[in-house]
Amino acid sequence: MQNLLKILLRYSNFLVFIALEVAAFLLLSYNNAYPRSSFLSTANNVIAWQHEQMSDISGYFSLRSQNEQLAAENAALRNQICSMDSVKIVFPMHYMNAKVVQMTTDEMHNYLTINRGSKDGVEPGQGIRNEDGVVGIIRTVGRNYSVVLPIINTYSNLSCRFSKNDYVGTLQWDGKDIRFAQLADVAAHMVVNPGDTIVTSGLSPVFPEGIPVGIVENSVLKEGASYHTIRVRLHTNFKRLKYVEVVQNAHQKELEELTDGLD
Amino acid sequence: MDWTRQLGRYVVVMLLQVLLFNQLQLWGLCHPYIYVMCLLMMPITLPHNVDMLIGAAVGIIMDVFCNSLGIHTASCILIMFIRPYVIGALVNDKDRLNEQITWRTLGPEVMLKYLTILVLIHHLTVFLLAAWSWAHIGFALLETLVSSIVTIIIIVGYNALKYK
Repeated sequence: MQNLLKILLRYSNFLVFIALEVAAFLLLSYNNAYPRSSFLSTANNVIAWQHEQMSDISGYFSLRSQNEQLAAENAALRNQICSMDSVKIVFPMHYMNAKVVQMTTDEMHNYLTINRGSKDGVEPGQGIRNEDGVVGIIRTVGRNYSVVLPIINTYSNLSCRFSKNDYVGTLQWDGKDIRFAQLADVAAHMVVNPGDTIVTSGLSPVFPEGIPVGIVENSVLKEGASYHTIRVRLHTNFKRLKYVEVVQNAHQKELEELTDGLD
Repeated sequence: MDWTRQLGRYVVVMLLQVLLFNQLQLWGLCHPYIYVMCLLMMPITLPHNVDMLIGAAVGIIMDVFCNSLGIHTASCILIMFIRPYVIGALVNDKDRLNEQITWRTLGPEVMLKYLTILVLIHHLTVFLLAAWSWAHIGFALLETLVSSIVTIIIIVGYNALKYK
């Protein structure tokens, strides 16, 4: 017994090291699992507040371009009202505007924080878009702020389709260039041309059908490969992202409960 | 008194990291984590276990700001674990250290070696854990190299200002 204690004491540093590292890796794997702690992330009130102050200060430097952006958006909305009767309503969607208070664009796992949280009815899994196209999906929700997993994160998977023929693929990101993403699972028999338009598929309750995602930049079919390697130029300019919209589907819970039972 | 001053200095460095260096976006390659300076400059008076716990605490704080729970924690614990061994290997006569890690006590050459080794190990762990797949390993290595060089330059600069 005494010998055992002696051995434990002798190696106590190493044992503490192992215990701490195990704890750190548990945190790491817990962090990658689905709803994350909103306290230990930028959805945390104090930290998001700090980021909001920072972006408020830097916001003054881009007032002009923001005005231009808002004016363009107004125009687009007015156009939409004109053609309202042609808008197809598949899901009862509700849009809520939000401001980006923090974001990273130069990492493999980019995230952004928005100033809407559970008190505004935001829930994990809701979609985020701006006037150009898809931005990402809500990952973690705090009371006043939420963290978004954007499509420029290597964890992101988004179901998309070609607008020309409804062929469905999965949009992923390789961690390299935030202007481009990759469309996977498009079989070799499909004819893919540069300039083809990619939109959301509407197969998941997160986004309604037909929100613009990007256009095909180029596509390569390697010898003997059964899938195309497609590079998609994204519509959303993540470098200048300032205002976004949360897409809330009134039937999302019900749809998710239905499909959850199937796995 | 000495400890409160030290603590104040660490808070300044952490704020610099979070408010300034975390916002830096240079070619997507350069993420200098200068906050390791707080850990590397800590006196070697505390027990090894306590050192590692402090490393874990500093790591968690960074992780919360970077949305990367666990990555900085694991890296900081690792460098705090190997720190005494690195010092032991670099310095023959430990009494000379007077338990303080500064440019004066270590000498510029040893100090630079000490910083380079530990900053490289810390950054390598952070970027490898963030990449988390063999597909991105080349990029992670390049990221480690660029960021470590920038981190070391900034730490040397910061200390040059302090001891002027």
